[in-house]
Amino acid sequence: MSRPRSQAEYLARLVPPSVAGLNRRSLLAGAAATGALLGTGALAGCGDSDSGSGGDAKSVSLGSNQSDPKPKDVIAKVMDGFKTSSGVTVNVNTVDHNTFQENINNYLQGKPDDVFTWFAGYRMRFFAAKGLAGDLSDVWAKLDGYSDAFKKASTGDDGKQYFVPASYYPWAVFYRKSVWQQRGYQVPTTLDQLTTLGAQMKKDGLNPIAFADKDGWPAMGTFDILNLRINGYQFHVDLMAGKEAWTSDKVKKVFDTWAGLLPLHQPDALGRTWQEAAQSLQQKKSGMYLLGLFVGQQFSGADLEDLDFFTFPEVDSTIGAKALDAPIDGYMMARKPKSKDAATKLLTYLGSKDAANVTVKNDPSTLVANSGADTASYTALQKKAAELVGSATEIAQFLDRDTRPDFASTVMIPALQQFIKNPKDISGMLTSVENQKKSIFTS
Amino acid sequence: MSTAVSPGRRRPVRPARVVLHVFLGTVAVGWLFPLLWAVLTSFRSYQYTAVHGYVSFGGWTIDNYVTAWQTAEFGKHFLNSVYITVPAVLLTLFLASCVAFVIARFSWRLNIALLGLFTAANLLPQQSLLIPLFRMFTEIPLPAWMSDSELLYDSYWGLILVNVTFQCGFCVFVLSNYMKALPHELYEAAMVDGASVWRQYWQVTMPLCRPALAALATLEVTWIYNEFFWATVLMRSGDKFPVTSSLNNLRGQFFTDNNLVSAGSVLVAIPTLVIFFLLQKQFVRGLTLGASKG
Repeated sequence: MSRPRSQAEYLARLVPPSVAGLNRRSLLAGAAATGALLGTGALAGCGDSDSGSGGDAKSVSLGSNQSDPKPKDVIAKVMDGFKTSSGVTVNVNTVDHNTFQENINNYLQGKPDDVFTWFAGYRMRFFAAKGLAGDLSDVWAKLDGYSDAFKKASTGDDGKQYFVPASYYPWAVFYRKSVWQQRGYQVPTTLDQLTTLGAQMKKDGLNPIAFADKDGWPAMGTFDILNLRINGYQFHVDLMAGKEAWTSDKVKKVFDTWAGLLPLHQPDALGRTWQEAAQSLQQKKSGMYLLGLFVGQQFSGADLEDLDFFTFPEVDSTIGAKALDAPIDGYMMARKPKSKDAATKLLTYLGSKDAANVTVKNDPSTLVANSGADTASYTALQKKAAELVGSATEIAQFLDRDTRPDFASTVMIPALQQFIKNPKDISGMLTSVENQKKSIFTS
Repeated sequence: MSTAVSPGRRRPVRPARVVLHVFLGTVAVGWLFPLLWAVLTSFRSYQYTAVHGYVSFGGWTIDNYVTAWQTAEFGKHFLNSVYITVPAVLLTLFLASCVAFVIARFSWRLNIALLGLFTAANLLPQQSLLIPLFRMFTEIPLPAWMSDSELLYDSYWGLILVNVTFQCGFCVFVLSNYMKALPHELYEAAMVDGASVWRQYWQVTMPLCRPALAALATLEVTWIYNEFFWATVLMRSGDKFPVTSSLNNLRGQFFTDNNLVSAGSVLVAIPTLVIFFLLQKQFVRGLTLGASKG
């Protein structure tokens, strides 16, 4: 073999055959070999430590969105209860609430945990209809202590149950008893009374209705309750499911009524978070506030005991004031759990009154769905809330749970914020909502 | 001012210079303001700022840091970030330097095309590949000892792979340009001494590339560490999230304590700052070396 005469010639001789005689097959073979090498040897050091769990019926996994410290702790205690009663260990996979919610599509289509936390309503039916959740009819056969409203909220479009309710909280108008006593205010039962009361509060130097919509969702509560009062539950559900037109006179009436109430609301709501609005109630600057029971998180000690509520007053006497928003949180099963037996056992336990009792004992900010639970330790506020929901004829789940998530976040949030900014152009806003609804619901 | 100018006869201050300094000052303040504001906020209690507003003074506490560390379980998640970042950076640099070496040192027909391919991949928006990648990852099995998910999905391996793939393009681009600037004579000498291609790569090229590698390592550590999109969509176990994704743990369901989130963000930002300050010299040297060819 002759000596190379130039650098180029020398280097050319050194090129390995797989590159020099570049053909597709050898390149692929090389790539495959490299891949195999990397996959097996080079990085073997960083495999997951807790491998090999699951598979047998001795353990079951639970995907949980309860990432706040308090509810997380409650989940852990409930799972301890399950372990003592059944001997099956639960591996809890906690993902923060917002990420869990935003990722649910990926999560369910990937490899979800056997059992996972989720919401009742359209959001549940949506995934059940897509075949991404397991049928729980046989679990429901073993459950007792649930009212028909709860069973209805757990049932998918095909009439089977896909959901086990655990806890819920109602939306209502909150106020401070001391302020109302001092000024002699009476709980309004009709819209007219509410308007008169609001005018009186304004005269007394209070914000009649605290209001905030910086995050986009709190105003949905106001829309929901007005629509339920003016057009009734069935229309609300159909509207949310995309079956009714947003441009109809019925919806217009809701916004007209709301526009009439807006002067009683705290101004500049778009720059305020609900916490700030709740604090204005707590600091006795506002007279009342329509929000969920979680408003109590901004109150403590004696202030919390001073907190009371009433359900939103009647607008149309033929509709009444018996329907309300009470979002239900609970559990669902993956379509193909690793161990169906263990998952069913866990869900049956989660729906039992034993699990509810553990929750009651450990979390005073929520209401348990099982009526058989021992609720003696409820606070006065919790008791009243439970009675309110118990007497409700229909329970809605809140706008963003009752409709497609993309519709709620990309269409309704901006639309409601636009309405709050400019309540005059109702028909323009509704036409735009209707157009976007058509494109979203047909996709 | 330089020492050559005597104190009595300073150069007159030109208006252009004043404008320049005012501009630089404004930009610097504008740049630093959000950071400093976050640091300031992180040291104040929520109760105080809720009552007095953020434009106030008082309510100092370090509780936010303690709470943030505990509730978001930063200890565990920092470790997860290390599991992902360290192998990903090492592998990226190794693979990229191999490709760069071939592109820079051998002339064959597809040289430019190959470099173009790697660079072009850089311009592709990563998010557009989400759905195909997600589908692939849920179909590719891994043995149980590698990941308890038994899939590429929800494993550190998957994340390392994604990061390596997306970062390689940029590294190849930088390294190949750097290697092209290395003197030919070195390789001729190596050749005369009978060094193999591997030896030329590993013992001649790589030591000379150290500044460029250090600069790239700094950048890559920051980028991969800060990456949180892929971790959020390609993982399902909260326990395996890297620290950036676990920052969301500080957001409550209904209630977000901004002071607490500030404290968490400052904690998460510290490692990147440390890396930058430690490797600052190499970083600047690596970027400017080769700028003036000797």
